Amino acid sequence: MAPSTSTAAQHEQSAAAAPAQEQLKNLDELLHYLTGANTTPVSVNNALRSFGTKETREALLASTLGSGQDPLEILSPEANTLGYLYILAAKLNVNGAPPQAEHVESFCKRFTPEHARLAPDRITALANGIVKASGDNVKHALGPLRDIVVRYPPNSTYLTNVHAIFLRACITARHFAVALPVLATPILNIDSSISELHYNDNLVYHYAGGVVLAALKRWREAEEFFEIVVTSPAQTPAAIQYEALKKLTLVQLVLYGKPIQPPKYANNQLIRMIKNSPYNTLGKAYPQTVATLTAIIQKDVEVFRADQNFGLVQQVIDRAPRWLIKRLTLTYITLGLADIGREVGLEAEEARAVVMSMIEVGEINASISVDGNVTFADSTPQFTKADVDAALARAQDQAKLLRDVERALNSSKEYLQKALKHKDEAWGTEEDMYNTPPSGAWAEESMYA
Amino acid sequence: MDMDIDEQHYTRRAGTQRVLPIDDEHPFDLDQYISNYTGRALVDRLVFLIPQCPTLAIQAAQAAAKQIRSMRDTTLYAQLMSAYEQAQANGGNDVPLPPFHEVVNIDQAWIDETTRKNGDEKAKLEVELKTYSSNMIKESIRMGHRDLAEFYRSVGDYQTALKHYAKLREFCTTSQHVLDMCIAVLEILIEQRNYAHIPTYVFKAEPALDASTSALRSSTHTSAGSAATPHAAATAAQVSRDRFMYERQKTQTKLEVATGISHLGLGSYEKAAAAFVRAGGASTLGPWANRVIHPSDIAIYATLCALATFQRSQIKAQIMENDVFVNSYLESEPYIRELVENWLAGRFKAVLASLGRYSTRHALLPHLAPHLHNLTQLIRSKAVALYFRPFATVKLEKMATAFGWTVDETEKEVVRLIEEGDIKGRVDRLGKILRAQETNQRAELFARTMKAGYDMQSANRKLLLRLKLQQADLVVKAPKQSNQAQQSSQQPAQPAPPQSGGGGGGFAGRMMEMFSNPLGMSSALDE
Repeated sequence: MAPSTSTAAQHEQSAAAAPAQEQLKNLDELLHYLTGANTTPVSVNNALRSFGTKETREALLASTLGSGQDPLEILSPEANTLGYLYILAAKLNVNGAPPQAEHVESFCKRFTPEHARLAPDRITALANGIVKASGDNVKHALGPLRDIVVRYPPNSTYLTNVHAIFLRACITARHFAVALPVLATPILNIDSSISELHYNDNLVYHYAGGVVLAALKRWREAEEFFEIVVTSPAQTPAAIQYEALKKLTLVQLVLYGKPIQPPKYANNQLIRMIKNSPYNTLGKAYPQTVATLTAIIQKDVEVFRADQNFGLVQQVIDRAPRWLIKRLTLTYITLGLADIGREVGLEAEEARAVVMSMIEVGEINASISVDGNVTFADSTPQFTKADVDAALARAQDQAKLLRDVERALNSSKEYLQKALKHKDEAWGTEEDMYNTPPSGAWAEESMYA
Repeated sequence: MDMDIDEQHYTRRAGTQRVLPIDDEHPFDLDQYISNYTGRALVDRLVFLIPQCPTLAIQAAQAAAKQIRSMRDTTLYAQLMSAYEQAQANGGNDVPLPPFHEVVNIDQAWIDETTRKNGDEKAKLEVELKTYSSNMIKESIRMGHRDLAEFYRSVGDYQTALKHYAKLREFCTTSQHVLDMCIAVLEILIEQRNYAHIPTYVFKAEPALDASTSALRSSTHTSAGSAATPHAAATAAQVSRDRFMYERQKTQTKLEVATGISHLGLGSYEKAAAAFVRAGGASTLGPWANRVIHPSDIAIYATLCALATFQRSQIKAQIMENDVFVNSYLESEPYIRELVENWLAGRFKAVLASLGRYSTRHALLPHLAPHLHNLTQLIRSKAVALYFRPFATVKLEKMATAFGWTVDETEKEVVRLIEEGDIKGRVDRLGKILRAQETNQRAELFARTMKAGYDMQSANRKLLLRLKLQQADLVVKAPKQSNQAQQSSQQPAQPAPPQSGGGGGGFAGRMMEMFSNPLGMSSALDE
């Protein structure tokens, strides 16, 4: 949301459009115009948009100058961002005129974001072109794509369709860690005017993000990403949302030892579907001894394999003894290793290894004596003053954010219209608005009025 | 829970009954038990008892046969015989039983005679009803239906009896008629152990009861007004008020007892106990005491339900300090009174011992039997939890002596209770000590607050994104296809917008396939 840019843009448009419209029949003229003075980003964008004819535009942009020189050598990514972008995108998408890799890379590192945002379609074309150009060697595309993802949006809380393209490239190249800095900032803003967003871009970005985080065993973040996919607004759920819900169930088993009910705003159809799936069966049975769980999933192994989730399922099952031991700590203060082994279905020595590793990662607070007795101590979490301060600061940020959102909403046109129209009528409670589509809530209220 | 009980109930009825021990350890006095009931209730109870107690089968069968002779339901003979045969099967070689016809002399002449009489009676009543109906006299029609219902009930055809009671309803002119009908239906339902339908008729009876009471009250007022002297009028009013309060109490007690039995049958023990202790004195039960439920049985039902679900203070206030309940019910079963006293005094060993001692007696109560196991289990758990409450640490050994169990048994019980959250504590398996949980309230609060904060922020973030998505109209939509395909895509079975490539959903589907690969592979590598 950049209201200032767009209003300014509209204003300038009428002034600058006329002179740029005419000439510019070939690339040399275009270049001359681009490098000349008296250009504004908007007029440049219009000139580029109307350059040549519709059929010949891409070919013309991808051609060389009359002197045989590459126009990209002359243009500077910072000053002539738009021109550079149009030519680069055309070169990437027209057969037989691939740009040099340095040009792509330097552009992605140096372009001026404010200018580039005037031409989101070209950015999309550029990103797709970069992936296409890298062919089988997707990892070469990662650097430029990451630069676009980081530099293009007004700030890192905006989603663009390049996000989705970048994440897909990361996974195809199996370079998961590259995506982490991007994934670290949660997406909070959607602005269709700066990027050609489709609902799939949101779903794919978060799904792929979840996959990356799960592959890196960052379960908590992975859970959040999958949950976002599952709870994304949908009239009819997409297949990718169901896949995300399957993975979400497994990730929650790893994370909490039990499945968590998805939020109530998740699509009912999805929830019904998962209820009848082997994932739910596993979730309900969990945690039990490895042998029991293996027997339970036996008949569904093929389903898990077909969903490509069997690796995750295996991890879930491998963690079962830990959850069983964790449960024992609630019941016992001291327990022999042999007893533990019996309870969780392991040999005493295996049990020792599991208990040791749990102590190491801090899942339980316990000590093992020489003769193999385990003493579980209470594990009360301790918080320092710094922790509390940080939490308070986060809460304040959050409160401010919410206040801003509320103000923006209060001043939005739709809201004011409705408020004016229903000034005298009773207002629905918050819950009503949240559960039912606004139109329905209004209709109901007018019945009472 | 209800489901389990139902299943148990049916399997028990289906014939997998176990044989109950009757010896010095488990005393059971058949004669006393029989003397509490008459008529069909007695026969029903004996039929219930015979298969479970082969040792008493002969005596019980004879008593039942004698009772049957004085009734007119010939089908009871068949029931008795099948129960007896089951007893023979259950008893096996340990308790050799003579064949049925040697024990009970089946009087074929009586059967024929009774069947014929029944036929005559039925014909007569039906003709009467027809006459009444053609004369259109409401009250007579009502009585005709009532007589027929009672007749069918006495010959054991409950379905038809209920049908007539249902028809009778529209001919009721006063609330007293409705009450009579409800009470009669309740009797049948209780006999049939149709617990789920009992509350319907209790609800129907309650407004009728209120209406009839107020009708009575106004009539007394008018009659008092016409009396000669004010003093005499006041006395008369007082007397009649007492009388109708007593009348009212009689119905009220029946309704409470019926409610109690229904709750017990459906497994909500706490509500059952509450209903039973609300019942009025034993005298208000009237004929129900012998035909439906004896006061001593009420004492047992109420006490077991209360021990299993009530707080200690509730038991004290609502049972021991409830004079009506103590005098009418508890006194009729001295061991039950002792049971409550022991419970309140914390002598749990005695409580459990006496529960075990009288388990046969309890298992022979038809309404209680299916729930006895559950109730006993609940009482045990409660006892352990109550015992542990005042302590910070308890040696399991000591606990075992207090309950009369072995240490291992005690440990198992305690662990189960901890897992179910009934005891807040943890077991020291090596030292065999149960320690109460000490929670550091401050740290707990901090942890909870931190978690709440984290959860809220995370939920906010997700909801805000969702809001923005909706504002930008990035909502997943079904792909634009022919109407037919669209409809099918809305059915839950269809995993998602179907496969065909064109639309957005199909695209998402393809995307998903692309993506599940890497994680599948990567996690396979992680193994």
